[in-house]
Amino acid sequence: MKSRAIKTLVSPLWGQNPINVQMLGICSALAVTIGLKAAIVMGLSMTFVLSASNTLISLMRKIIPKNIRLIVELAVISTLVILTDEFLRAYFYDISKQLSVFVGLIITNCIVLGRAEGFALSNPPHLAFLDGIGNGLGYGSVLIVVAFIRELFGSGTIFGIHVIPQAFYAAGYENMGFMLLAPAAFIIIGLLVWGGNVLRNRRSG
Amino acid sequence: MSDAMKSVVFAFAMCLVCGLLLTAASNSFSGLQKKNILLDRRKNILKAAGILDSAKKYTPKAIESLYAGNITIVGVAPDGRIVTGREALAPGGRVLPLYLYADEMGRVREYIIPIESNGLWGKIYGYLALESDGATIAGFTVYKHSETPGLGGEIEKAWFDRNFLGKKIVDQAGNFVSVKIAKGKAKQAVGKDRLVNYVDGISGATLTGSFLTKGLKRVLSEYEPVSLAFRENRLRCRITGDVPACGSTGGSDR
Repeated sequence: MKSRAIKTLVSPLWGQNPINVQMLGICSALAVTIGLKAAIVMGLSMTFVLSASNTLISLMRKIIPKNIRLIVELAVISTLVILTDEFLRAYFYDISKQLSVFVGLIITNCIVLGRAEGFALSNPPHLAFLDGIGNGLGYGSVLIVVAFIRELFGSGTIFGIHVIPQAFYAAGYENMGFMLLAPAAFIIIGLLVWGGNVLRNRRSG
Repeated sequence: MSDAMKSVVFAFAMCLVCGLLLTAASNSFSGLQKKNILLDRRKNILKAAGILDSAKKYTPKAIESLYAGNITIVGVAPDGRIVTGREALAPGGRVLPLYLYADEMGRVREYIIPIESNGLWGKIYGYLALESDGATIAGFTVYKHSETPGLGGEIEKAWFDRNFLGKKIVDQAGNFVSVKIAKGKAKQAVGKDRLVNYVDGISGATLTGSFLTKGLKRVLSEYEPVSLAFRENRLRCRITGDVPACGSTGGSDR
């Protein structure tokens, strides 16, 4: 029993990672990874929405009428997302402006509905909660890695603080403007997928 | 209960619970959100005026004190006179809001015009700061829009806003022409003589650019009487403390 809980929590972090393995939620991963701060807030928002929606849907799994199942799931998810959006706008206004539509678009993120349909409907609440946390963190961790690379090479900063010494710039180093564009995230995610697959195959083979 | 009935009841209960939750959240957060929006606008006025250093972070308190120390809000009458106090609030009068940025001596350095323009998907709101010569743009910011992120959404980015610096709203003969967003790079789109009225466009966002061009022209035409007064050096403003004293002719000040 215990090992199942741990497996549920850990497998989305690496072996079943929603972005790198299941290729879900790529759109927002391209858009919000210019800076680390926005990426972390997005990862946390996603973790909150996923774990809460998984838990609620799992709690109701026996009373949800089968024919309106998807509508109910979407209602739960959208309510949670709007709550998150309102909260960010009240307490983290700058970041919420930066994330713009992408918090609202968590509603349409395939990861959330996918986990609700594929896991929460057929598992007890505590496992569904752990699955939500695991998938949220799995999503967030990829965002953070991508954002770290993009912010470091694109703006020369980490969390908005300059880390590349001035001497580098004096010697002719320039920030890569390309890193700030969405295609850069696409390429980085592609490389991460490749690296991940190589590692996983080596272990299994 | 039949299955269909059960679904209807469940859906109804679901809607009720979600609706209540959202109403409660919206009510309890709205105060803070309004405060944030006001602060964000003030920050954008300061940014347009070039008072804020974009590389630095400012606390809400610092922004409030910079705003209070530098910016005065006044009204502009249709004839270009600057009005304050009761006259500005008079009903039926078509008085436009204007922000003045004064130096320590109380002389007006820049005036800041609130921009409201149509965009591709919704309204675009921002500020345009003009120098006291009534012709040169000192800054531009956008604080609210619904353009596509990554395309039209770039209008709120610093690189786009920087384009406006030093551009003119008058042509070389001194006639009002507004400032326009070029299709692509301004250098390739228009001749050298008109370059001063054009800023670089955003690739992939031609429509946003043309909407903003129209919006800027409309707003700047409305404010043209006061810009003209600044250009002809007819405005004599002294701002002491929070009270602006403006005469609209040069005669009385001599």
